[in-house]
Amino acid sequence: MRLGPQPGEEIDRERSFTFRWNGADVQAYEGDTIVSALAASGRRVFSRSYKYHRPRGLLTASYHDPGCFFQVGDEPNVRGAHRLAEPGLDVRSQNTWPSLEFDVKAVNQLVGRFLGPGFYYKTFIKPQRLWPLYEQVLQRFVHAGHVSADTPRVAVDKRHAHPDVLVAGGGPAGLAAAVAAAQAGARVMLIEEEHRLGGHLRWGDATDLAALAELRDLVAATPGIEVHVNAVVSGRYDGNWTAVVLRDLPSGLPGGTRVEQLIKARAKVLVVAPGLIERPYVFAGNDVPGVMLSTAVRRLIRLHAVKPGERAVVLAANADGDAAVADLRQAGVEVARVLDARAGQDILRVRGRKGVQAVQAADGTTTECDLLVTATGWTAPASLLSMAGDRPAYDPRAARFFPSSLPEDVLATGGLAGDGSLDQLIAHAQATGREAARRAARLRREWQAAVPTRGHANGALLAGHRLAGHGLADHKLADDPLLADDGPVAIPELPVDEHPELFRARTHGIVDYCEDVSSKDLIAAVREGYDSIELAKRYTTATMGPTQGKIELVNAIATVAEATGRTIAETGTTTWRPPYAPVTLGALAGRPLEPVRYSPMQPWHEAHHASPLIAGAWIRPDHYGDPAAEVRNVRSKVGIIDVTPIGKLDLRGPDVPRLLNLVYVNKWSKLDIGRVRYGVMCTEDGVVFDDGVTGRLGPEHYLMSTTSSGASAVWEWLENVLQTMHPDWQVHITPVTTAYASINVAGPAARDLIGRVTRGVDLANEAFGYMEVRTGQVAGVDESVLWRIGFTGELSYELHVPAAYGLHVWETLMDRGRDLGVAPFGVEAQRILRLEKGHLIVGQDTDGLTRGFSAGLDWAIKLDKADFLGKPELAWQHDVENGSGSRLVGLQPEDGSLVPPEASQIVDGPRIVGRVTSSRMSPTLGRSICLAQVEAALAAPGTRVTVRLPGGRLVGARVTEHLAHVDPEGSRLRV
Amino acid sequence: MILIRCPWCGPRDAGEFHYSGEARPRPDPASASPLQWREYLYFPANPRGEVTETWYHRMGCRQFFALERDTDTNESRLPGGPR
Amino acid sequence: MPGRNTVEAVRPASRPRPRRPAKYSALALLRHGLSGRDWPRAWPENPLRGRYDVVIVGGGVHGLATAYYLAVNHGITDVAVLDQGYIGGGGSGRSTAILRSNYLTPEGVRFYDRSMQLYRTLAADLDYNVMFSRRGHLTLAHNDSSLRTMRWRAEVNQLEGVDSQLIDPAEIKRLVPFLDVSADTRYPILGALYHPPGGIIRHDAVVWGYARAAAAQGVHIHQDTEVTGIDVAQGRVRGVRTTRGDIAAPVVLNATAGWSTLIAAMAGVRLPIQTFPLQAAVTEPVRPFLHSVVVSGTLHVYVSQTDRGELVFGASVDPFAAYSTRGTLEFAEGLATHVIELMPGLSKMRLLRQWSGLCDMTPDFSPIMGGTEVEGFYVDVGWGTYGFKAGPVSGEAMARCIADGRAPEIIEAFGLSRFGAGELVGEKGAAAVGH
Repeated sequence: MRLGPQPGEEIDRERSFTFRWNGADVQAYEGDTIVSALAASGRRVFSRSYKYHRPRGLLTASYHDPGCFFQVGDEPNVRGAHRLAEPGLDVRSQNTWPSLEFDVKAVNQLVGRFLGPGFYYKTFIKPQRLWPLYEQVLQRFVHAGHVSADTPRVAVDKRHAHPDVLVAGGGPAGLAAAVAAAQAGARVMLIEEEHRLGGHLRWGDATDLAALAELRDLVAATPGIEVHVNAVVSGRYDGNWTAVVLRDLPSGLPGGTRVEQLIKARAKVLVVAPGLIERPYVFAGNDVPGVMLSTAVRRLIRLHAVKPGERAVVLAANADGDAAVADLRQAGVEVARVLDARAGQDILRVRGRKGVQAVQAADGTTTECDLLVTATGWTAPASLLSMAGDRPAYDPRAARFFPSSLPEDVLATGGLAGDGSLDQLIAHAQATGREAARRAARLRREWQAAVPTRGHANGALLAGHRLAGHGLADHKLADDPLLADDGPVAIPELPVDEHPELFRARTHGIVDYCEDVSSKDLIAAVREGYDSIELAKRYTTATMGPTQGKIELVNAIATVAEATGRTIAETGTTTWRPPYAPVTLGALAGRPLEPVRYSPMQPWHEAHHASPLIAGAWIRPDHYGDPAAEVRNVRSKVGIIDVTPIGKLDLRGPDVPRLLNLVYVNKWSKLDIGRVRYGVMCTEDGVVFDDGVTGRLGPEHYLMSTTSSGASAVWEWLENVLQTMHPDWQVHITPVTTAYASINVAGPAARDLIGRVTRGVDLANEAFGYMEVRTGQVAGVDESVLWRIGFTGELSYELHVPAAYGLHVWETLMDRGRDLGVAPFGVEAQRILRLEKGHLIVGQDTDGLTRGFSAGLDWAIKLDKADFLGKPELAWQHDVENGSGSRLVGLQPEDGSLVPPEASQIVDGPRIVGRVTSSRMSPTLGRSICLAQVEAALAAPGTRVTVRLPGGRLVGARVTEHLAHVDPEGSRLRV
Repeated sequence: MILIRCPWCGPRDAGEFHYSGEARPRPDPASASPLQWREYLYFPANPRGEVTETWYHRMGCRQFFALERDTDTNESRLPGGPR
Repeated sequence: MPGRNTVEAVRPASRPRPRRPAKYSALALLRHGLSGRDWPRAWPENPLRGRYDVVIVGGGVHGLATAYYLAVNHGITDVAVLDQGYIGGGGSGRSTAILRSNYLTPEGVRFYDRSMQLYRTLAADLDYNVMFSRRGHLTLAHNDSSLRTMRWRAEVNQLEGVDSQLIDPAEIKRLVPFLDVSADTRYPILGALYHPPGGIIRHDAVVWGYARAAAAQGVHIHQDTEVTGIDVAQGRVRGVRTTRGDIAAPVVLNATAGWSTLIAAMAGVRLPIQTFPLQAAVTEPVRPFLHSVVVSGTLHVYVSQTDRGELVFGASVDPFAAYSTRGTLEFAEGLATHVIELMPGLSKMRLLRQWSGLCDMTPDFSPIMGGTEVEGFYVDVGWGTYGFKAGPVSGEAMARCIADGRAPEIIEAFGLSRFGAGELVGEKGAAAVGH
């Protein structure tokens, strides 16, 4: 029933609309939550509980209200006592069948006594084959909404913020702290979970409302405060990295679906002012619809002008309970009885199933009523503090937890810190705000001082040293006059009021409403040996539901304490973890931002129907329709391939040869200008990690190539060597992978084609031989690099031209080579070509443990070098493994038409003795060819091995003489 | 995201860096026995508390530097510097 | 470094076996429900004795399973399991509890499959429903190299008699309708390794089941008992010192995770381990829609849905070593990004809680099991991100190792001495986002 206008009400009676609740229309005003509108319509039952399907109503009328989770459209688990009603919303109760009113699973209540905590651990053990069936039954009870695969994804950009002071909580303390901090010069961000600022002042009396108005105006008038309501600080991580989630933002999609936005705030100082959360009382019938907390009835009456019931009984243990009595009377609710817990009065049980019908007090009297209001205590929402490393301490005198040891960058104020009058709380908050601003300013100065490459206020610019720390050791920030301020702000202590410890009446009731766990369950769990708060939690699942302990943890601790005979302090708590309130995956994901890399020739590839291959971050042409034809064209005429993703590093300096000697397994001291050499890199344990060719372009100028996927790792590796092992070497590295577009021109007609487009380079074989490098002008582009290497086994020139000209050079080649039969070839054709030549691919023909010798790189590894990375292990491997370990070999299946899939295993009876690492049909030979890793004993040429095809069929194959299947002498390369 | 103090760029988000492992003395590969070498390769100190390690400012100045970090609290400082 | 330790003092107890606790069954539920009687304690509280034949440091699944198999397979019951907090409070309580045996090497497959075998009958063996749910386990491949590795694993699995096969996107979609298998995604799914026997289990129940069954045999379980020192003299272990008193013991097993380096150091033993946090998260419950366990190595994420309806997520270890169990925002962000990429319909699901456990990473993604250079001091450590699934087989093998004084064949390859010998095991390909 709707009351007359209330001072401070937050509904707009001019704006009325309807929404649907389980198919029926419900009237609401703007400013109503879904639940306040439902309550105004006289409804009381909003859900059914998890295990027993007991009818549930509203308890707290706040975000955490456990009986008020609804499906709204395609959004599950919406907090109905927080979400504002909107026109046309389709709201449904969750997991009720056939209806909320008559729910079949409520039959569970009848068997409740048999379904004690952890009952499922004690049963359905045998017969095991029925477990899947039982699981299906269990799953039917999942008390939640549903998701759909078709839910459209709305990408909401995340935001970064750098507030000096982040205030979590917009009640009187938070507001006062925010204003004080801003007035002290701090940039402030104020986050309030509810839809409006004000905290408990919003449903307070006239004085409270006046104070609220004043504070709100002050916040609005003070510059430097960014305010967000309906937002929550969901996590505080190391370094005061905080997650702020803005809720219920419009998505722009039809149907009014709402989205959340994540703000990542590096707060210098966090002020935690979340107020206190009212705690339910545990007694028989404490979950019957019509049992409400004092804050719930005050909200309903004051904010939404809803009459919560007709005839009430109130159990009051504090002043808020008294205030609730006054509000109820003022709203025309008959307060039939007030039980004062401070005078020792208590309730025993509530009678009624779908709604409160009567309350039996501990003195034996029974009072008929339809509403029971409890005000039995407060719980400190200590989550953010715990995330900051605090271990809150329990004060039995006040019956709640308090912060005990906060880090420098976190402060607590408001109810979390103590009690007192509104003025006292505000004074504490103001001092806290000023202190927060002071600490933030100090931190800002310290961070700025920690950037030595910026000018200092004292004029000194610190030179960067390698492996530093040196510069700053002289600069003791603690003594820095720059950082001095007026000293810490004195924060007045807040009084702490006594409060009776009231957790459970003499009867048993629900402790965790979401998980349907009663005090009886917890005590039974303790008796069974699950006698610490952690074990009791896990065994009963208390606090493991959507409220994550906020309204039930302290009662759970108290119950476990009672059962074990320990105090609450001795029992301790479970751990508060982020997020403080649930955050949508969409908000955490934001907009997908995974970059993709294309070469400058990509438009040409697309226009010519290249089939794309995703190679890490790169998109490359896999083939242009017929890879076999591409292979044949390369072997007989000339093909061009876009190899831009090849890693490229420009190396300059007098010590480059020493670096190459150290990182490659072969010798590099004498590489003449104009020559190119193939190199293999191993890590310090001898495992092959990359390969490529390096050419010498000038006296102190080299160009190194790496695998495409290894490009950044190799660059980092080289920098590591130079900076940490040999800072005395003079080598400068510039990554040029994307600075150059790279094109490999391969085939018997390659020289002809290159000759047509190149100036300034003598291309005759005697002048420019295999494994040599030149620079010249290609297609009019100066400073182009050409080197002759042989991955494909044909005469080939690899061009590296400044990337902006890549497409131009490519098109020129295609144009000028038309009569030579030039055609593009892709990665697939290249794989076939290199396999025909027996060239290994690191990571495919080798794996994470392949050491140099197993990769068939014996010829490359020069153990007589002084030192190279990987040498010790390779030397020892060489000694040990002459006869053991595995080897890379060429393999040809006896049936040349059979192409064993890569990773097919090579077997000897039941034993695995190797595997096929690369495998293709060779267009050149017209038969299948492979590379394989086999046990050393089987590596001799001519050995017959057995390959197991997927599916089980066994076929024979022979180890070839050479790794190369085509032109093993490599004569075609050297023409 | 913790802050890492780069000696040249100041405190930056850890995501800009690449963790390069504990800073441990490298034995002379020429004279180290297999056991000594493998102890270097495979046996880190792994303390719970302060450790000196190497970080690489991958998305910044691209320098390798030494950092002292508490593996429990993730607070860190440059050797000899403030936290 | 020896794997041989003769431990003369470990003999089967000659004391009579204590009474077993009441059997669990539906009938028992009925009886207790009708009579209102309490269930007896799952494991009794015992005074801490000054001496035991075997002291196991670590009350997680590995330590408790070892204690159980020592008693049941070898008659060794004078055993104490010590935990610094509540049992299962370390890795076992933080694990996302995915069970599978689709590993890369034949030795790895045999090892983890033995564990699967034990898990399949565990509920009946322990008389405790551990709720092993066989869901089917999918490891998605998003590029050629990955597909090749999946095939490698499928082939090795089949040769070892384990059910795994490579399946295509259409088949994947049939199993997991919520997955986006189209070619439009950033990293299209090319195929998957499908392992039907894989699934999930209630991790706490496994810990409690082993604890209850071990205690029934006379094993003492001591919680809130932190080991502060290990006494070694003349190259042999003599006992441990704890916050509740000293215990003499000729055999001490380090079955910890996160603390293993520190515990081993107390005995003067060095381990090739670096400790990294491994984070996980859970969402609010929704109606069941995901019946398989889905893993993507490329996207560094895996997901399953519990019987309570919550989605459980995990990814790879944190990028730098730490002993923090606090969790990071960037983990939650990365996770959400990749999960939505795989299953775009999930953007409205809400993350409820994130946590992390400590993973002891070894250079070759394989554990360290067996003896050490200190006689009587054994280790079952280095379990990285794959420890929970190996609980039963590790317990069985370590029990045998302790009883026989030498490592059984199934764990020979995992000896500590392999690092000094340069003989690392090859599971990197199967363990990278190993879950």
